[in-house]
Amino acid sequence: MKEKIAQIEELLVTELAVCDSLQALDALRVKVLGKKGELTALLRGMGQLSPEERPVAGQMINEAREKFTAMLEEKQALLKAQAQEAALKRETIDVTQPAAMPKAGCVHPMTLVLNEVVDCFTGMGFEVVEGPEVELDHYNFELMNIPKNHPARDAQDTFYVDDNIVLRTHTSPVQARTMLTRKPPIRVICPGRVYRADEMDATHSPVFHQLEGLVIDKDVTMADLRGTLNAFAERLYGKGITTRFRPSFFPFTEPSAEVDLTCVACHGKGCRVCKGTGWIEVLGCGMVNPHVLEMCGIDPKEYSGFAFGIGIERITMQRYGIPDLRLLFEGDVRFLGQFR
Amino acid sequence: MKVPMQWIKEYADIPVSAEEYQSKMIMIGNGVEGYEEQGAEIENVVVGRVVTCEPHPDSDHLHVTTVDVGEEELLNIVCGAPNCEAGILVPVAKIGAKLPGGIKIKKGKLRGVASEGMLCGGDELGVPVELYPHVGEKGLLIFNEEYPLGADVKPILGMDDTVMDFEVLANRPDCLSVWGIARETAVACGTKFTKPEITVQECGGDIHDYVKVDVEATDLCPRYIARVIKDVRVAPSPMWLRKYLNAAGMRSINNVVDITNFIMLETGHPMHAFDLSMVEGNHIIVRKAVEGEHITTLDGKQHDLTAGQLVICDAVKPSCVAGIMGGEESEITEKTTTMMFECAVFDRAATRVTSRALGIRTESSGRFEKGVSVKTAMEAMQRACQMINQLDAGDVVSGIIDIYPEPAQQQVITGSCKRIASRTGVDIPAEDIVRILTDLHFGVERDGDTLTVTVPDYRQDVDGEADLSEEALRVFGYDKIPSTLLRGETTPGGRSARMRLKDEVARYLTGMGFYEIMNFSFVSPKTVMKLDLGEDDYRLNQLPIRNPLGEDTSVMRTTLTPGMLNTLAVNMNHGNEGARLYEVAAIFDAENRTEENLPTEIQKLCLGVYGKEEDFFTLRGVVERLLGYLGIETTVEARGESYLHPGRRAILMAGDERVCCLGEVHPTVREEFDMPSRAYIAELDMEQLARLRKPMGAVKPMPRYPAVTRDLSLVMSEATQVGPLMADMAKAAGAILEDVKMFDIYRSAALGENMKSVAFSFILRGADHTLTEAEVTKAMDKILKVAAESHNATIRA
Repeated sequence: MKEKIAQIEELLVTELAVCDSLQALDALRVKVLGKKGELTALLRGMGQLSPEERPVAGQMINEAREKFTAMLEEKQALLKAQAQEAALKRETIDVTQPAAMPKAGCVHPMTLVLNEVVDCFTGMGFEVVEGPEVELDHYNFELMNIPKNHPARDAQDTFYVDDNIVLRTHTSPVQARTMLTRKPPIRVICPGRVYRADEMDATHSPVFHQLEGLVIDKDVTMADLRGTLNAFAERLYGKGITTRFRPSFFPFTEPSAEVDLTCVACHGKGCRVCKGTGWIEVLGCGMVNPHVLEMCGIDPKEYSGFAFGIGIERITMQRYGIPDLRLLFEGDVRFLGQFR
Repeated sequence: MKVPMQWIKEYADIPVSAEEYQSKMIMIGNGVEGYEEQGAEIENVVVGRVVTCEPHPDSDHLHVTTVDVGEEELLNIVCGAPNCEAGILVPVAKIGAKLPGGIKIKKGKLRGVASEGMLCGGDELGVPVELYPHVGEKGLLIFNEEYPLGADVKPILGMDDTVMDFEVLANRPDCLSVWGIARETAVACGTKFTKPEITVQECGGDIHDYVKVDVEATDLCPRYIARVIKDVRVAPSPMWLRKYLNAAGMRSINNVVDITNFIMLETGHPMHAFDLSMVEGNHIIVRKAVEGEHITTLDGKQHDLTAGQLVICDAVKPSCVAGIMGGEESEITEKTTTMMFECAVFDRAATRVTSRALGIRTESSGRFEKGVSVKTAMEAMQRACQMINQLDAGDVVSGIIDIYPEPAQQQVITGSCKRIASRTGVDIPAEDIVRILTDLHFGVERDGDTLTVTVPDYRQDVDGEADLSEEALRVFGYDKIPSTLLRGETTPGGRSARMRLKDEVARYLTGMGFYEIMNFSFVSPKTVMKLDLGEDDYRLNQLPIRNPLGEDTSVMRTTLTPGMLNTLAVNMNHGNEGARLYEVAAIFDAENRTEENLPTEIQKLCLGVYGKEEDFFTLRGVVERLLGYLGIETTVEARGESYLHPGRRAILMAGDERVCCLGEVHPTVREEFDMPSRAYIAELDMEQLARLRKPMGAVKPMPRYPAVTRDLSLVMSEATQVGPLMADMAKAAGAILEDVKMFDIYRSAALGENMKSVAFSFILRGADHTLTEAEVTKAMDKILKVAAESHNATIRA
């Protein structure tokens, strides 16, 4: 028996050595361990053995079966690994060739900037309100303390539809409408399109975008205005960017200020972008003129407030180094495709 | 407003550099555009005398000269000027001198003769004609007075000052004057403002013997002051006056006219001088023009006046457009012997309206429009007469006509120191408020917290406590405003619903490869014509702008489509292979007005695509997916707008409502918009989307039983529409149909002409059991039946 098992093992070893496919291996397994296989034949032949020999022979055969199974499995694992390796090699691609790109898309650069600005203020509890672009003179001018024949209403600056209707020259009429319909506390921002009769050139457009903010509450001061704008500056431009207030004049605010931000390009050291001053003019603001509050039905003795206005085009041009405003309105995908 | 620093310094000292002065002025609220150092480009040009002047041996127009510039040796200089002769005193640019335009003088030879410099003309030095006599003459500038040889020419020519360019804020017309600026300067620099003492020497007589003044239109002329000067001695102005006027950007005319301009610049009060011999009846009448009157102004232009425009007339006719420009006839000339000075105040709005109507803008009209103080007019008139004395330009006749029917009240404001400070957010001590207001020439009385403030006559902008806050703060320092965060009741904040919808649409579309564009809201009225819309289409009724920049931006758009077509064309013509674009913006419906009579503004969404990967179905897919994303189900109908290809356009319907029209741009329209390639376009209404959109409900349970898939190829006529066929088949299959897809369309000769074979895939599934073969067969039979009976579509053999 021992010899017979040794013969089978020898055969197995010989055949395993030349076996080079999973099919051949399977055939070998059948030949040795299958129902009609050689080891099974030995098992069948056990009947001829004496009862004393049988357990010994049975154990030998079982041990051999385990051993042969392990040998076959080992070979199978090896062959599988080889086959996979070959397949992987076959399937190798040039990973450096161009990818299949999904189409890219993006919102307009001014929407990118506007979204950031809006997020900054909504995070501080401001609510977005909107209003008509073709607006009553009453809201656009009268309630903003710009009476008839004020130089700011010059036909050169304002597009008129008729004596009472204009294309809004700022988003301030939305503030007026808000004050007339709501009770303080008011914290709103009004983004939108505005119109001025300027010929189109590299830095002017008859259509542009603004975001104005308005806060009305008890004891609102210019320090709150500065704090709000400082928070805005840091959020939009990063740490260390702060504001400089300069006295100015707007009919709807008193006191009024022109606000410069630390030049982002040089962090205030002075460079070409800021013309050496370290500051970039970004917005106008002030405390809401008591006359405006009164006209809009808010008691200036009880409430005070501030307002500010930001030009979206200007920030967009500064941020992305856009040399000519016309690019923003041309819609060429070679330009738009650069934004993300 | 341009002002030379020397002029300011006559009234308030500036102990700092121009640079520092500029920033000090800016920080208290006086804008400065910049400053210019006069003659900065001129260096090493001195006074010299031509000692000898001989003709050049080899030239018929050059001279060879020797010039004395106060040095040991005379300079040999070749000069081409025709007026060069021995004895004259001229500016000499020595070797190494610099002239305007970056010119540098080097040693050279002219036709063989060495030249050690250049004799200069006025134009070479950039000296304006008005500044120095003889400058305008051809050739050399010849000094008309003696100056030391070798002296720098810049002070002599009045080119040694620094000219500040102030950007005066609209609320500070008082700063459109040297005195106004000097007052601010004193506060900015901590120096003192001193106004000159004004005294007038009169020569007797009585003004009423010379002129009679009547103001009929007192509503438009609250004050009119007149004085008469006799024995007028018209002459050129002295150098200092010419210098100041030139620096301020005004031409010197003669001493009398220059005085009126000088007074305007110094005090902010525009003045006018009339030649009384040209004033008919020696009668000045301030009245409104009547229709049909006309006037020829100083600039020689004739203007037709309209009724209501304010004019200064003599007994017969208008001789001056009030506050805007004088008439040619009564202009001061060398022959003038008796004249009348006018210092008046005219209505802001009326001046502005007339100035626009006549198309005349002057330094004078600009000041009246912004507001001239009625209270300080007398001071200006007296200062003008003082100047007449000083320049010996005539004799001031005794007596003043001052028509001032309703003298303006002194403006007095009472306020609280605490409130004045608290508004600013800066703790400005009461003492500082008092000091600052006093420095700004306000009269201040303090009683504890209460301030009683008298506003200076020239400050028309200050009428309330908030103004006092600004005055206090701007001098105390805007840089002292602390930074505090908002306090009080919190507000939820957030984006508007409209903005959120736009964001959602943007997120979806940008994910699909679209770029957002922005077009102007106004267009040419002709643009919409190119769309070939029906006669009564509301989009033809476009809201016109009364004063557009041009025809191409003269009406508010009623559709976003033309703008999109233009942008597609731009991209095509720039050679871009393809584009997916969208715009969200308002359109303006002029027919349907709001309660306030404003046009209805509707937010629209417009999509446009072109390129080799685009066709009708790619765009319809984008739109349908967008609508699906918003929970809006639609059906397709084969019809649509006239600007679309009649065989490639469709309308998407949500129930009875039209949601979108889309399709390929009509070839004729493409031609109109200069679009070389095919393009596809769709327009939707954002407000309708907001109204129709449905929020997503609870999720459906995952299917528990297996699905059965059956494919089917049906042959049908080309005319058979697949959409309705699929809808009918789905309906016929009933509830067990989970989905049906079309996956192929096949045409061949074997099928026959005008026939197509369309392949569908049906997915069937039972909700509560595994479908039996019988159930599936029954459903497929129903499908085949409806296809054959209603659509003449039969199974492919």
